[in-house]
Amino acid sequence: MLVSISSEWCKELSLEELQEVVKQNKAWYERLAAQGKIKGGQALLREGAVVTSKGSRFISDGPFPESKEAIGGTLWLDVATLAEAVAIAQTLPGLRYNTTIEVRPVAEECPTYAWARELAQQQQPAAAAA
Amino acid sequence: MSTQSNTGYLIIFRGTDWYQGLSPEQMQQVADNWMAWFKRLKDEGKCAGGNPLEREGKVVSGKNKVVSDGPFAESKESIGGYFLLTVGTMDEAVAIAQQCPGLPYGIRVEVRPIAPQCPIVDELESKEHLAHA
Repeated sequence: MLVSISSEWCKELSLEELQEVVKQNKAWYERLAAQGKIKGGQALLREGAVVTSKGSRFISDGPFPESKEAIGGTLWLDVATLAEAVAIAQTLPGLRYNTTIEVRPVAEECPTYAWARELAQQQQPAAAAA
Repeated sequence: MSTQSNTGYLIIFRGTDWYQGLSPEQMQQVADNWMAWFKRLKDEGKCAGGNPLEREGKVVSGKNKVVSDGPFAESKESIGGYFLLTVGTMDEAVAIAQQCPGLPYGIRVEVRPIAPQCPIVDELESKEHLAHA
């Protein structure tokens, strides 16, 4: 999963620069799609809400949580290795405008189950020794 | 806020250290509740999919395409997973986010409308409009 994190850099570009970026992004996406490497993805609006145990807070114009940058979109890649996903992330045209791409493997099962098993194993020898 | 979206909402679960201090049984119980919640939303036709993410990853940034170990955010803000909701309004998406079984343990849920098209294209169209005005 590629997650792009950026400020609203596109607001600062001229019309010509924007036209060029849109063209490049489109070509980049279409090439990956043609290679069968895209499983899904979403571009996000900069507004939204943050829900915590204490309540909900609406945000109309970004930026999001505690950082100055917000998630701009996600792209779910159909590739076998983290290295291949990183290599694809490095070709993203938007990187030039100081976008950050987080590359994260999609988990087979919720990692919580693995942590619970790990913790149970750590506790077992202690219980046996007691 | 009653923003409408025909394209749905992404709800992003933030926080990957929420289980600290829980017993293995408690952790398993929260995860079971989470999976049951996901299944119910899918059965009700309100969720088109979702994925948990592994805790580790890489970060690629900037002009020089520097690769470093990720995730990008500190663990309390780090993305743990997401659901793709197919509901029509922000209020509905927030109401679903409020049911997240991880909330009492410090999970934060970010609710974001999915853009009908890339916002960069929106920006381009508004600039083109201004140029022609």
